[in-house]
Amino acid sequence: MKLEYVLYGFGILFCIAGVGYLAAEYVKYLSDIGKIGSLLLTVGLFAFLGKYFEGLGW
Amino acid sequence: MAVKHKTLYLYLTLVCFIGIILIFIFDGYLGLYDNLIIKSQEIPEKFEADFWLRPYNQASTYVERDGKIKFNYEVDNRRFSTYTADIEVSIWQVNEKIAVIFSQPVSITAFDKGQFEWFINTAELVPVDYPSNEQYFFTVVIRIGEIERRIVTTVQPIRYLPGEIKIPAPPR
Repeated sequence: MKLEYVLYGFGILFCIAGVGYLAAEYVKYLSDIGKIGSLLLTVGLFAFLGKYFEGLGW
Repeated sequence: MAVKHKTLYLYLTLVCFIGIILIFIFDGYLGLYDNLIIKSQEIPEKFEADFWLRPYNQASTYVERDGKIKFNYEVDNRRFSTYTADIEVSIWQVNEKIAVIFSQPVSITAFDKGQFEWFINTAELVPVDYPSNEQYFFTVVIRIGEIERRIVTTVQPIRYLPGEIKIPAPPR
């Protein structure tokens, strides 16, 4: 059972790393306005996600 | 009320995520893109806008001695304003400009394309006394505004000179 969670953890980690890598590659070709917009939205995304988990009692 | 807030934060998270994806799509679409098609052989070579973005990519082509090369250059203005610049197509050898094919001002309206077409006849370019069994190199340079594209061109040597192949006379 514990081994399964470890594997899930690895899977999630690799997914995040892969998406992060692709996003980082793509960001190179964005315009400055696009970069700022993406940065603000990413900050907002994590802020709202944090608030959501806070509401769940984490 | 607390449940509504929780859902609201989740929706806001989704909105931010969709916003990032939309920026990626629209920002990738908008901009100034140039494509080049070179036809010196039977199969045309196409250099699309993303080719020039890779730092170590070098466009090159080759042509037979005394052959012609056709260039189709397209500038796609996917911006909300008119693109105005000067275009110059020239031929260089090492660091010396040897010929200007054309030079003219360009004005492309928003979300429109500019098309340019020209030929290079290597018979006019390669010196007459240049050894026919050696390769001849030159670079076609396209300058439009701040964009510069370089295409290294190789003129292939003539492999079999007329008169070299001796056909034996048929036996009587």
